[in-house]
Amino acid sequence: MANALFYLVAALSVIAAAGVVLFRNPISNVLSLLFAFFCLATIYLLAGFQFLAATQILVYAGAIMVLFLFVIMLLNLAPGPNAPELERVGLAMFLRRKSGVTIVIAAALLILGTSAVLGTHDTAVQAAEAMPKKGLDAITATPGSSEGLAGEMFGRYLLPFEAISMLLLATAVAVVVLAKRSRPENS
Amino acid sequence: MNDIAAKLGMTGDQLEGLLAILVRNTVILIGVINVAAVMTLVERKVSAWMQYRHGPNRVGPWGLLQPLADGVKFIFKEVVIPYGANKPLYLLAPAMAAVPAMMTIAVIPFANDVVLFGKNWGPLAIADIDVGILYLLAIGSMSVYGVILAGWASNSKYSLLGGLRASAQMISYELSMILAILAVVALAGSINLKEIAALQASTGNPLDWFFFKQPLACFLLLVASFAETNRHPFDFAECEPELVAGFNTEYSAMKWAIFFIGEYSAMAVMSALSVVLFWGGWSVPFMPDAPWYLGFAAFLAKVSVYLFLFVWVRWTLPRFRFDQLMRIGWKVMLPLALLNLLATGAMLALFGPPGAP
Repeated sequence: MANALFYLVAALSVIAAAGVVLFRNPISNVLSLLFAFFCLATIYLLAGFQFLAATQILVYAGAIMVLFLFVIMLLNLAPGPNAPELERVGLAMFLRRKSGVTIVIAAALLILGTSAVLGTHDTAVQAAEAMPKKGLDAITATPGSSEGLAGEMFGRYLLPFEAISMLLLATAVAVVVLAKRSRPENS
Repeated sequence: MNDIAAKLGMTGDQLEGLLAILVRNTVILIGVINVAAVMTLVERKVSAWMQYRHGPNRVGPWGLLQPLADGVKFIFKEVVIPYGANKPLYLLAPAMAAVPAMMTIAVIPFANDVVLFGKNWGPLAIADIDVGILYLLAIGSMSVYGVILAGWASNSKYSLLGGLRASAQMISYELSMILAILAVVALAGSINLKEIAALQASTGNPLDWFFFKQPLACFLLLVASFAETNRHPFDFAECEPELVAGFNTEYSAMKWAIFFIGEYSAMAVMSALSVVLFWGGWSVPFMPDAPWYLGFAAFLAKVSVYLFLFVWVRWTLPRFRFDQLMRIGWKVMLPLALLNLLATGAMLALFGPPGAP
């Protein structure tokens, strides 16, 4: 049952991800991405990570995609007879244009990504087998596993976690510096 | 009972459990939709009372059947789809506005363990899950899509402006709302709504309610819930003098009504959440061992007070300007919520959790 659900949701998420790049209407792109996020959250739920699933929806679907929609709506892309025609971005365009480099890079990324996933899968299986039975039970025993996640995040992975938060802060500061225009009347 | 269960290949207990789930969920869902219907009448009656008018008084005694008449009217009105509208999204938007509010009611614990026919049926909530608050916030944050998509799909400038305002406003106030709730979560040490309510209800002393430990967070959540549900004084998405009716300008008949079912359901959920977080949930003052039906009644009474507050504020306070709304959200609410969380954390670090010896 859970397996069948996983394959169904995984297939849907791939379809939704394809929709993100193939739909012509930008709002439809955003909604496809939203749907893909929900599929991902479902996969997290199936794996037993309630906390991660809720955070995924709260942060990505609830905040970031709303900002995407906000920006798209501010562009003049309203439907109707006067809407500007967007050029179709698709496979045909890739093949028509001189985009050999793009295809090579895409293929390289695909191989890299697949091997990374396969590699981590092996290590994950090894790690799970090597993990003491008690530890694995402790994680699966708390279905919400917010305690388990917090223990890992603020215990073993505290340093990377703090480093990432500093990186995010630096990014926010950088964006403010870049976007801020110096006002002549103030200087 | 046992014969029917045997025919279905289940034990009697399993069948009873299944039936209990069906009855409980149906009652809660129908209850929420009816709250939305009753609130339309309450809104009109209370506004009339505040403005020294009669309000609806033609259908039934004191106009009590007015929601029924309204419902019939909405169903039989013509659905007009504006020229140039994006039809699928236009039809989808009301559902996307109403469904999240109804989904979030699932984690609200209305009462303690229900004991009926000599059996404990568990707490009166559709789902008692560990990440209750996160689920509520995550699904609740989806309701903004209904408003944005309605604004965009209608192919109308007024609607689009309403949708834009709603998205900016909801994101801004969501931050303060989550930070205010986090202070309570830190205090309770749990994100399970039932556990948070049980913590406050255990002694029956109203001073245990988290309002008396977190008054600022309670106020911030109240203000944020006005903004999140698009209610006065922050209803810029449907600001009549500027935007006709904002995001729902182009909607008619039942499609229009569904937006309001969603708005009133969201109000009910936000009120219930505030009651659980700050007013002890099902706790009856000075009665720690109150039976579940008294607790349920106390819960409904507290929620009614909150719902009345929503209506009261709508008909007495003037609307802010949009820049004022943004300034309050980012420069007053957010710093206050952060400071409150910081102070709560400091107190917890210095003196330990409240229940600890």
